[in-house]
Amino acid sequence: MWTYIIRRLLLMIPTLFGVTVVSFCIMQLAPGDPLMMQLGAGGSAGQSTQTREAFLIQKRDLKLDKPLLLNRNYFRDYTEPVRIAAHYLSLSVEEIRAEIPALAQANPTAEDVARREFLRSLKIPEFDSSLPDADQYESLARKIQAWVQVDCEDTGLNGVPEAIALLKRSDTPLRERIGAIRCLNRMVIDPFVFTYSSQPREAETPRVVSGWKEWWLKNEKTFPPLDPDRKEILEQQFATLVAEPDRGVLFEKLQEASYDRDDLPFFAHKLLDGGTLPERFVASIVLKLFVSVPLKLDVPLDASAAEVADVAANWKLHYDSQQAEYRPSLTTRCLRLFTDTQYAHMVTRLATFNFGRSTLATREPVSERLWSAVKVSAPLMIAAQILIYLIAVPLGVICAVRRGRLADNLISLVLFMLYSLPSFIAGMLFLMTLCFGKPFKVFPAMSLHSEGADDLSWVPWLADYAWHTVLPIVCLSLFSLAGLAMYSRSSLLDVISQDYVRTARAKGVREVFVILKHALRNGLIPIITLFSSFLPAMLGGSVLVEFLFGIPGMGRLSWVSIEQKDFPTLMALIYVDAIVVMFSILLSDLLYVAADPRISFGGKGAG
Amino acid sequence: MTQHETYWDIVWQQFRKNRLASWAVRALTPVVAIAICAPLICSNQPLVFDEGPQRLYPWFRGLFHTAEPVDYLFNMALIGFPVWAVAALIQNRRWKARGASVGRRWWWLSLQYVGLTAVLATAFSVPVLRPRNVYASRTFTQEQFASAQTKHGIYVLIPFGPIEQDLFGCENRPPLFRKPAAEWRESNDGFPHLIGTDNAGRDVFTRLVYGTRISITVGIVAVGIYLTIGCVLGSLAGYFGGFVDILISRVIEIVLLFPAFFLILTLVGLIGPSIYIIMVVIGLTGWPSIARLIRGEVLKQRAADYVSAAQALGFTHARIVFRHILPNSLAPALVAAPFGIANAIITEAGLSLLGFGVRPPTPSWGNVLRLGSENYSLVWLVIAPSLGIFFTVTVFNLIGNGLRDAMDPRLRSTR
Repeated sequence: MWTYIIRRLLLMIPTLFGVTVVSFCIMQLAPGDPLMMQLGAGGSAGQSTQTREAFLIQKRDLKLDKPLLLNRNYFRDYTEPVRIAAHYLSLSVEEIRAEIPALAQANPTAEDVARREFLRSLKIPEFDSSLPDADQYESLARKIQAWVQVDCEDTGLNGVPEAIALLKRSDTPLRERIGAIRCLNRMVIDPFVFTYSSQPREAETPRVVSGWKEWWLKNEKTFPPLDPDRKEILEQQFATLVAEPDRGVLFEKLQEASYDRDDLPFFAHKLLDGGTLPERFVASIVLKLFVSVPLKLDVPLDASAAEVADVAANWKLHYDSQQAEYRPSLTTRCLRLFTDTQYAHMVTRLATFNFGRSTLATREPVSERLWSAVKVSAPLMIAAQILIYLIAVPLGVICAVRRGRLADNLISLVLFMLYSLPSFIAGMLFLMTLCFGKPFKVFPAMSLHSEGADDLSWVPWLADYAWHTVLPIVCLSLFSLAGLAMYSRSSLLDVISQDYVRTARAKGVREVFVILKHALRNGLIPIITLFSSFLPAMLGGSVLVEFLFGIPGMGRLSWVSIEQKDFPTLMALIYVDAIVVMFSILLSDLLYVAADPRISFGGKGAG
Repeated sequence: MTQHETYWDIVWQQFRKNRLASWAVRALTPVVAIAICAPLICSNQPLVFDEGPQRLYPWFRGLFHTAEPVDYLFNMALIGFPVWAVAALIQNRRWKARGASVGRRWWWLSLQYVGLTAVLATAFSVPVLRPRNVYASRTFTQEQFASAQTKHGIYVLIPFGPIEQDLFGCENRPPLFRKPAAEWRESNDGFPHLIGTDNAGRDVFTRLVYGTRISITVGIVAVGIYLTIGCVLGSLAGYFGGFVDILISRVIEIVLLFPAFFLILTLVGLIGPSIYIIMVVIGLTGWPSIARLIRGEVLKQRAADYVSAAQALGFTHARIVFRHILPNSLAPALVAAPFGIANAIITEAGLSLLGFGVRPPTPSWGNVLRLGSENYSLVWLVIAPSLGIFFTVTVFNLIGNGLRDAMDPRLRSTR
């Protein structure tokens, strides 16, 4: 038996692989890059910098900036594209506009040809058609600016070495340096990390400290030495802050505490001179509250040479500290050819059940959303399954025993009508007649509990819950109930006409025992397997029922995430559903073997 | 000339013995008739309109110019009906004299009807051949009301159009609502709304009648698509076996893992709502179960002697599969077809209810239901489409049941 189960589990691996392929294909159906669509033909980004950055983080989080199946970016030479991108990013729209005629002229210089090819490769809509048309230059210039920015964002970390090289070269003109810095800002999000994540880990310390250390080196001299009395007070306050376990209260205390700029050296020492993790955590937060931009990383278009040199130094520092990341070895690059793609990242996420965060504004982790939905749906599903088996099997038995009589005909008719009644129509009729006061108002609609139900003890709580969930459960079970009853009727009829049942009757066994002990036992075997076919139907059907009754379960979650194009959640839902169904099929196969001694695990059962 | 009895003749005889199933087939006739004759029942275009000395026929011209291609197809079926009916009567008599069975006669006649509709639809889609719709921008009901003395029109039974709105005191009215005479703005305002109106003042009865067309089309086309895919892939898997079989069986297994409705919802939600996409998506997701049935049946048939004979005669694989094996293995797939149509109708209504279905101005049962789900006090918006869906689904399920019983040799009574 164990070998059978293990073989089945192994067979699941290629199936799961297929599931990921299907899910990936579904994801690709989504209409193109939402950012590009927002930029539109007008060429003006209709977003503030902030939403733009949020979108970018999201895009990288989902790895949408990676190629689909094969990542050749690690082998591409970015020198030329980065140089031209830097050129364009160092220009204002008017300046770009002034340059366009040079691109369009009949005998362009080598530089212009290179730039034109570069712009063409960005696939700007109507680029070629608007090049000769002077009226279009204004909008074309805007488009060029937007598309070059997006190109930098898509190039991402791959272009950083070239941009840094541009900064390091001594013969780079100032304008191009400014452009390169602006490129780098588009390519890298948060090059320095100044605070810990919400769950601080020791591993983050080096990155956090390195940034602040650089800041301290530069700014140490601007602070006056700390007054010893003040230090005493700060020391006490700091101790209470560090001891505070609740994050919310901590932030409140920080807001209230009256620190001024001169206190910062105290916190800098706390952070830089070693200390426990909570101490460093609090110190980094206080510092960040006061110094919003510790290291300057961006420059305006008209920056002075000194300013540029300062910022460039910061970037070089960042680059040098992350050398390994930016200059991967040949083997790493070959490996990333396959592993750093959208598909590979998706498979990794799914295989490790690490579904990431939802794309909604709340950025909730998908697994949390999923789990809270499962907690709502699972009891309903289980209750519905139990209800189905408890009612359907006896009904089927009654029909089979009384074949052709009034009871059989009546029940069969009702069952058939239930079979033809879609669950959502049943739900709407229930809601209309029993929940919204026409003609009765017996059951509540649109919630799972009454208000204040959490204060009840468990008996009334359960009663309240049952009162709220009766109708959804009935709707969920109607269709499968009818199907199962009809199926059990026919399978029992098959058995009843067999010889061994006749033999039992001839022996003088009482009719009740003939049915229950002899016939039903064999007749029930095929019914067990139906379990695996009801589950997918219920998982799908629950979308409508939960939609109608306003239950925040799996079905409603899938509806919401489709409507809001929340891909991570959708992905996780598809995947989890498929796995649940797969295991239920395995379970029903095992039950089948357990119930029917004529079938064994040997032979070709693996199918 | 007497013909020998084929398998399908036997099935037909068995089917006719099933009282419920034969009633279901009869009950299907009015549904199909309503779908085809929708403009004859409800239309806001006058059949005849006298404009001074000139006599116009807007209704007829309107048949050729519809917003929805589905409507156009059904209109062509309506135009072709008289021609077909006459031809069918004559033909039927001749075949009867030859002794062809009822089932066979009806099968061929319906095929001819479908063919005729297709021919008409293709012919009139050529711009030169189709009558120009010179009245496209005219609303005859308004014009007629403006000067009742000079102009005159004759309407069909119910003078409302499926997407004709009335936002002047006609929203969400109960059944049999009739506008008070003081508020009339158009000539058809005086007519009662048989099953009330929806939130845009559209006549629900008219929408249901036209919605029949959409629902039936979705059901039949979707099932047609997945029967085709399922038959082809299933017979390939069963006939060739080996690697092809393993591959196709795996794919079947994988697609079956996804809950059907959820998969369809996801696909439709991501691609965008439209009836054509719904049809295709239902078709693309429904084939695995058919393929599995066909595969099993083909595996059984492959060992039969006639296949060896065909192979010995040197027939090509395609010919053996599609001319010899497939016709003999179609039975289980055909049983699944009526159930599939019922399911597709339910799926379409469910999608529309969630807002992923047919785009709102187009009438469909699910769309009416959706308006009902937004406000349960509008009872007629829930009950009327529910009855329509329930009736149609029951009819198709009954036909499916009858077909299954008729094909089951164990239930076959002696003739």
